[in-house]
This record gives sequence, structure tokens and C-alpha cells, in this order.
Amino acid sequence: MSGEEMNTQNNCNMHEALMSYLYDESTPDEKLRVETHLTDCAACKQEFHAFERVRGMLQQWQLDDSPVVRIVTEQGRGKRSILAVLKELISVTPIWAKALGAVAMAMLVLAVLGTDVSIGRGGVSLHADLLRRNRAVEPANAGGQQNSMSSDRASIEQIRAEMKSLVNQLVADSGRDQKERIKAELVSLQSELQNTHSADLAKVISRIQEQQTRLKTIERDIDRREGLDLTDILFSEVSKPAERSTAGGD
Amino acid sequence: MELSDTQIIERTLGGEPDAFNMLVRRWERQIYGLTLRMLGRDEEAKDATQETFLSAYRNLPKFRGEAKFSSWIYRIALNICNTKLRSRSKFAVSLDEQRETTGFELAADLEDLGSEIQREQITRHVRRALQGLPFEMRQVIIMKEYEGLKFSEIAEVLGIPLSTVKTRMYTGLSELRKRLEHLREAM
Repeated sequence: MSGEEMNTQNNCNMHEALMSYLYDESTPDEKLRVETHLTDCAACKQEFHAFERVRGMLQQWQLDDSPVVRIVTEQGRGKRSILAVLKELISVTPIWAKALGAVAMAMLVLAVLGTDVSIGRGGVSLHADLLRRNRAVEPANAGGQQNSMSSDRASIEQIRAEMKSLVNQLVADSGRDQKERIKAELVSLQSELQNTHSADLAKVISRIQEQQTRLKTIERDIDRREGLDLTDILFSEVSKPAERSTAGGD
Repeated sequence: MELSDTQIIERTLGGEPDAFNMLVRRWERQIYGLTLRMLGRDEEAKDATQETFLSAYRNLPKFRGEAKFSSWIYRIALNICNTKLRSRSKFAVSLDEQRETTGFELAADLEDLGSEIQREQITRHVRRALQGLPFEMRQVIIMKEYEGLKFSEIAEVLGIPLSTVKTRMYTGLSELRKRLEHLREAM
């Protein structure tokens, strides 16, 4: 059958068979039927080749290196140890919370070690006493306990007072430092301003002197011109071209 | 010997929850490929993959083994993709609108470009063309072309007749043909 005689209308109702044939899923009978039809039907043949091209284009989209998705299944969570849970918790904790936790942990360790913390003029000092040898001997009775508590309270009060005075001193020192710094800055600014002023003044004075000199020159010039009479001026103007022509004649 | 999907499921349900990880490792790439091509966005596809496996694990006791595990998990993934696409449907544009606005025209000097660039361009156009297809056609084409499922398997995943699958495939390819025909010379 020639090309002109072929069916050019795509109404053959071969859609399903064509799909099976395109993806190589036809039964032998279906395959034969489609192949026979394609030799007769130009429209279907054209469509079939177009579909092949579309498939070729679709195959261009390949995922070169698909990232492996991190899957955390729930049963995996159930089996995890406390350490693993803690690790994950730490990994998701913000930095400030980590810092706070570290401080709390350090305080706990210090408390366990029986460390004395004293803050004085010499700074902060730590004294670890695991066996609590420097502590007051444990009272055997309740009265002793009360004494110990009151002595503790007194020492706390003392520390508090020391800290208060230290803070006050620090605040006062920092205030004084700040004042002095500002004063020094002010002085330097003033001197800078003065220097700038004096430099500007010197410039202005020199400009004024310059102007005065020029004024004097102009005055002198005016005086000289006033001394000349009209004929002098005229003759001086007329004589100039005459001099020029004489010079040209030479 | 490698365990079958059904054996892994039996182990998981029998008190070995870690066995499910084997299924995840076995199917994650296919599911990711499917969701990426369905959604067209990497991060969204990763989320959808994660959700698919979580949903599969939670619903594992409901899996009766009447269908293959792959069909079952593909169906879950497609449902999740469908939900995600619906939630962003207000931003979607119609096929005609997209054709008008984006065109799909290739650069005039495409033939002069290197083959890699040309491939990238074709890929971009293919992605766009696929994204423009209705969900029903797109899922069939993706499962057929990229996941290599047979028509009968697609019918099983979607729970629709075989003839419907083939018709959707035919309609989808015809639509893609219209959209991509101008790339013919570049191929």
C-alpha cells in the first residue's frame, strides 16, 4: 500500500494496543496486529514514532546521584540507649542552653567536691575539700547543728557584704575610669579644635595681608593714573601702533 | 540469601522492628525518585519520602500481603504527593496558561551548545512538561518510564482497570508530544 493510500486519520482505536507495543508488553497476537496496522496506517505510525521520541526525551531526566534520604524509623528510636538519646538531645540543644547546662554541671561538681568559693579583693578563689576537713566538725547534737547553721549564715552574710562592696567598688572604679576617659577625650578634642582654629586663622591672616598688598598696589596704580592727563593717555595709546609699524618696517 | 519484602515484613511484625530498616534501604531511592518527579522539588520530595516510610511502618499491621509491598508503598507515596500538590494547588496554573507563559521554546542557538548543556535544557523542559500534566497522567507516566512498572502493576498500585492505565498513558504521552515536539531537532 502506498503512502497516499494509507489511513491518515488517527481514529483507529489502537491506543491501548499501541501502548502495550510501545512498552514491549504486547502478547504475540497483539504485536502482530499492531505491526500490521502500522504498515497500513500513516497516522498511527507517525504517532508511534513521536511517542518513541517523547520517551527518549523523558529518559534524559535521570537522577544522577539520588541523595540517600535519612530515614529514622520509630522502632529504631525505641531501641536506642539513654546515651544515644542524650547525644541527640545535645545535638539539637541551642548553644546558650548548652552553656547554661555546662555552668550548672560545673556548680554541681564543685558542690560535690565540697569546694569553697571565696570572692575578695584578690579575685575569686576556689578551694576544694573533698573530705570536708576544714569544715566545722559535725555537731553531735541539734544545738551544735544550729550553731553550725548560724555560723554558715554569718559567713554567707559576710560573703554577701564583701561581694556588695566589691561590686560597688567595681562600679565606682568603672564610673571613674569612664569619666577620666571622657575628660581626656574632651581635652584632646579641644586641642585639636584649637589647632584647627589656629591653622585656619593663620590662613585667613595671610589672605588678608595678601589682599591688603593688592589693595595698596591698586591704589598706587589709581594714583598714578590720576596724575596723567588726557593727552598723555591718548598719545600713549596712539603711539603704540606707530611703534609697532616702525618695528615692522625694520 | 536476600530476604523478600514479605519476609522482612513478617520479621518486623514478629518483633524485630529493626528489620524494617532493610525495607527502607531497599525502597528509599525508588520512592524518592517517584516523589521528586511527582513534586518537582527536592526538599518536598525528601519530606514525602520520609512521610511515606513512617506511614508504611505505622500501617504495617494493616498490610495483608494481597498486593506486593512495592505496590502498597507506591500507593502511599502517591497519596502523600497528591496531598502535597493539593495544598499548593492555589499556586498552580492551567496547562494552557503554562504553555502561554513559559512557552517551552528552546534557545535558538541550542545546536551550538555542548551536549551536556543541551541535555540539561531538555531535562528542564521535560520536567516542566511533566509538572504541567494532570496528576493522574503524570503518576502513570512516571511509574512507567522511571520506575519501570508494568501496566498491570500500575493498575494494582492505583486500583484502577488496566485499560484506564493505558488510556492515561496514551493521553499523557500525546500531551507531552505536543509540549515537547519542538525539541525534536535538538535530540
